[in-house]
Amino acid sequence: MATQKNKALGKLRSEERVLGYIFASPWLIGLIILGVFPIALSFYLSFTNYDMLGAPGFIWFTNYRILLSNDSLFYTALFNTLYHVAISVPLGLLVGIILALLLNSKIKGMGIYRTIYYLPNVVSVVAMSLLWLWLFQPSFGLVNNLLSPIYNFFKMEPLLWYQSSDMSKITLILMGLWTAGGSMIIYLAQMQDIPSELYEAADIDGANGLQKIFKITIPLMTPSIVFNFIRGLIGGFQDLTVSYIMTKGGPGHSTYYYSYYLFDKMMSDNAMGMASAMAWILLVITLVITMGALSLNKYVFYLGDQS
Amino acid sequence: MEVNKNNEKIENNEVEITTNVIQKPFMTRKRKKLIHDIIIHMVLILFGTMFIFPFLWMLTTALKTNSELLQGTDVLFPAVPQWENFRLAIKAVPFFLYIKNSFILVFFAVAGTLFSSTLTAYAFAKLEWPGRDALFVVMLATMMIPMQVLLIPTYIMYAKIGWLGTRLPLIVPFFLGGGSAFYIFLLRQFFKGIPKDLTESAIVDGASHFKIFIKIMLPLTKPALITVTLFTFMFVWNDYFGPLIYLSDPDHLTIALGLRAFQSQYSGRYNLMMAASILTMLPTLLIFFFAQKSFIEGITFSGIKG
Repeated sequence: MATQKNKALGKLRSEERVLGYIFASPWLIGLIILGVFPIALSFYLSFTNYDMLGAPGFIWFTNYRILLSNDSLFYTALFNTLYHVAISVPLGLLVGIILALLLNSKIKGMGIYRTIYYLPNVVSVVAMSLLWLWLFQPSFGLVNNLLSPIYNFFKMEPLLWYQSSDMSKITLILMGLWTAGGSMIIYLAQMQDIPSELYEAADIDGANGLQKIFKITIPLMTPSIVFNFIRGLIGGFQDLTVSYIMTKGGPGHSTYYYSYYLFDKMMSDNAMGMASAMAWILLVITLVITMGALSLNKYVFYLGDQS
Repeated sequence: MEVNKNNEKIENNEVEITTNVIQKPFMTRKRKKLIHDIIIHMVLILFGTMFIFPFLWMLTTALKTNSELLQGTDVLFPAVPQWENFRLAIKAVPFFLYIKNSFILVFFAVAGTLFSSTLTAYAFAKLEWPGRDALFVVMLATMMIPMQVLLIPTYIMYAKIGWLGTRLPLIVPFFLGGGSAFYIFLLRQFFKGIPKDLTESAIVDGASHFKIFIKIMLPLTKPALITVTLFTFMFVWNDYFGPLIYLSDPDHLTIALGLRAFQSQYSGRYNLMMAASILTMLPTLLIFFFAQKSFIEGITFSGIKG
């Protein structure tokens, strides 16, 4: 019986060396056609003046030089994006963690709360943008209506939100918090992996609720915090839909993000070489920040195996 | 005498202690739990209101007349609900055509994603082949590449083979695992969770890997498959830039593009815009409610461990 089993398994082991490639072939083909080749092509194009019409002419570092030394809009867009990411990513992490901590307690109706908090993630960015255009509408919108007692009390002018260049970025950041439920789900998933013995041991040692949160829950959540942090960064650098639909990058380029500029270079100007150079600068920025985040790994606690 | 008295005292003490243990802490713990629960509920309801209120405001706005719109919170509910607004929104643009087009893309994207990601995840989870672990790292790394790096060259590629203006760039990549690194990771976690004994005994009985994949793996990982389906559905249904870049035929436009076109046509008519937004959201909301239990289970099980 045992030898028969080993024989069957042994035969399959040798088959697996080929079968693995067959099973993974859709993805492997995709990796080459839609991954490796485009990356190489994009890198090459970033050194050319390709515009979809003629053949690409190799111009060395000209695209990079123009962008970095001779393009104020490039820096405006980069600044807007860094500003957005620097505020929205930590704020989103904080809200996501707080929601997850609240939703991790064992009380009735948890399923309903989870659904409600997750719900905004189901809405399309276009519909969400239209909704918040209306909510933040300065004269008749809900937000200013609700804030009017405060405006009256401090005798101040109502805020213009996305219609003013001072407030537009903040408006988009606040809006983004509405979808914090997306990261909350991932935190919750990890919290449920924390063995209850740890909490029971803490109870015996007389720890209070806050101590348990800061000494057990949050340290053991660090893998998903790092995951959400990197996800937030990458998403934050790429996102342009909200500003594209709500503000068209305005007022006065105040919500003109890096990826928006890149998109304009690509689709409006057909400047594929320049747009590729921008994409590679974005890749380097993303990689540097991600590596920085991953170097925090020594502060990350893993339960059980390190895989 | 004295000894007896002492004994009695001790006994009394003991009785007191035991009653203490049974009654007093029990009551306070119960009361403490109750207070704790009430506070949590109150905080959750407060936050929950902030998350759900925009939806309610959307609905009441959609039912308002134009003049009620301008009165802000003075009119919480419209005097007479204007269901007419929904009819106007549907008639203003070829709404059902857009819905149909979105469903076409969703159908192929879901089929393609399920096809490529389950097979690949099985290869990573249950098969041993040279280069597997290195390729797995490569797969995780692809999640970090900004889509713009890939978008420009793939756009040029599609232009060269004449796919611009067709639906193909929005369908074919899903069959080749495009954008599904996260799903492959998720499914791999699920497949790995299925005990080895189960597959090995099937192998001894003469089953092939393909049979194990179809007959054992897929049925046992339904929550994960539902999660992947739901994510893909929502992504494609809500995607704005993909269709914007690749579609040009007015007969192919999707609901996200349609809603945007509606906005530029009726800017300022927030009641109509909200009615149209609600209509576009309905399919995703319905599917989410329908599948949400498996969906939450699907993510929860994956246990992302960094």
